[in-house]
Amino acid sequence: MTTKRVLIIDDEETIQTVVQFGIRMRAGWQVLTASSGMQGIQTAQAERPDVILLDVMMPEMDGIDTFKNLQSHPKTEQIPVIFLTAKAQTVEKRQFNELGVSGVITKPFNSLDLPDQIAKILRWSLPL
Amino acid sequence: MKILLVDDDEFLSDLLTRSLAAYHYVVDTVKDGEMGWTYGSTFDYDLIVLDIMLPRLDGISLCQRFRAEGYTTPILLLTAQDTSTAKVNGLDAGADDYVVKPFDVAELSARIRALLRRSSVSPFPLLTWGDLLLNPSSCEVTYNAKPLTLTTKEYELLELFMRESQHVFSTDEILGRLWSSEEFPSEATVRSHIRRVRHKLLTAGAPSDFIATVHGRGYFLKAADAAQQGTKSDRPTHPQAEYLAFLNETWLAQKAKILTQLTIFEEAIATLDQGTLSPSVQEKAYHAAHKLAGTLGTFGLSQAMTLARQLEQSFAPDSSQPKIIDLVTLLKALQQDLQNRHTLDSFGAIAIPQPSPDTSEQNTKVMIVDDDQHWLKTLPSLLKPWGFKITTLAEPQQFWTVLQSVTPDLLVLDVNMPDMNGFELCQALRHDPRWQRLPILFLSGLTDQSTQNHAFNLGADDYLCKPIMGVDLANRILNRLQRVRAWAT
Repeated sequence: MTTKRVLIIDDEETIQTVVQFGIRMRAGWQVLTASSGMQGIQTAQAERPDVILLDVMMPEMDGIDTFKNLQSHPKTEQIPVIFLTAKAQTVEKRQFNELGVSGVITKPFNSLDLPDQIAKILRWSLPL
Repeated sequence: MKILLVDDDEFLSDLLTRSLAAYHYVVDTVKDGEMGWTYGSTFDYDLIVLDIMLPRLDGISLCQRFRAEGYTTPILLLTAQDTSTAKVNGLDAGADDYVVKPFDVAELSARIRALLRRSSVSPFPLLTWGDLLLNPSSCEVTYNAKPLTLTTKEYELLELFMRESQHVFSTDEILGRLWSSEEFPSEATVRSHIRRVRHKLLTAGAPSDFIATVHGRGYFLKAADAAQQGTKSDRPTHPQAEYLAFLNETWLAQKAKILTQLTIFEEAIATLDQGTLSPSVQEKAYHAAHKLAGTLGTFGLSQAMTLARQLEQSFAPDSSQPKIIDLVTLLKALQQDLQNRHTLDSFGAIAIPQPSPDTSEQNTKVMIVDDDQHWLKTLPSLLKPWGFKITTLAEPQQFWTVLQSVTPDLLVLDVNMPDMNGFELCQALRHDPRWQRLPILFLSGLTDQSTQNHAFNLGADDYLCKPIMGVDLANRILNRLQRVRAWAT
């Protein structure tokens, strides 16, 4: 399997750092980071990652708006998006699914488990 | 295997120590009953051999004292009296076997082996793990039919790992179990022995991580199948520990910043104190609390995370005006928790995500035995998010009936319960072939090390102290189940 490239969009620097470390360690994937919706959209267009991890609650442009923007752009519409959210209520999950996101990962998470969770959602095969 | 010999006959002690050493047993010898009690209640032994005629405290009384204090270590009595009254007295005092002097040393060793076998998780005379085979009566060890030449300590190490193959042994524990109390070896000694055994196993064709390391916790025998596949040496065996180390560094670097973030809540509280909370300030505090909860959760700080979540709920846009007193209390508790947090807990405490439906433990049956009715009532709701099927039992008398009908995947036991204690149940389960492999977690208010060691000696898989958060308990249950599954596949 070729090395995957993951973009994480989260306004918390700590989360970015920890996710980057965990994913690199567990799977050796490349991790790109962005601290806002706008920055994330630009990075996604320029870098075309294999998956985007998107925090739902962010100031200015939240995850839902960011996702809609990504979907409307031909360069990024094909990139699978996984929401990172602390809210696990089924109502919101359904709302996310209707939006067309590939999946939802709930916070807090152990970053080492992220590659497995991502692979499971996107049906990637993950070397053990 | 470590044996305590209590006998004032120096000649006999000497002879026994030497002949038992030939079977790779470590023997501590003391000469009177009181010393026997001191040693037996201070150190962990796999077996105690007692002479009946002893200065200061006789063997029968010592035996009774051990049993009255809850020690279940097998006890073998030595005596000159070959009458059935003497035998009955000894067995009634709680001894497990009885040998009359003068005795044949070979017979005594065989009886000792039988007693050790009975108390071990593995009831079979031969110990096996994957392609590794150890014969305690001949002291021969082979890997894939190739004989291994081992020193006494190397042999003992393997035997210990094989007898309690589900257990992770810390260096400290290995020192306590394999070295007599008169020696003062360092932890480095244990590590160098492990290194040499690994090397010998490797030469015989075993994988390099046949004895695996859990960083910061200890050593265990890796599940046979997984061990054979796991030949990639470039990948660390336990990235969890390295991840934890990284989290710790990040925590130290971020702690001050996180603490200053709390001023947002102080400001919001101050505004509220002056009159009403404006929607914009309330929303700012709400967002900040939400972010903070997520960050703290990532660090595995479940208690602080819960406090931040409560703050989040208090500031939620649709909630009524929060009470100042509640907010101040919450904030104080959070501040204190964070300030006192210098290092993060072991990786078992790293919060796991609320499970999504496809990963939850829908069909996992967990049985919990505890006489605290209130606690039993709260447990199912604490563990509800993980989807376990919980059976609670407050009356240990019905234990076996309920166990049979529930057939749980994992058992949580309290230590002190009326009529029957958790240790007895654990020991009985480990002697029953049907329940030998049932994962057992102790959950008790007793926090001392010797009680915990005792639980592990009886075959417990884990020991947790009350009070405990739901997330921590769920984590430990999940960890245990994962290991059992890794072993089974």
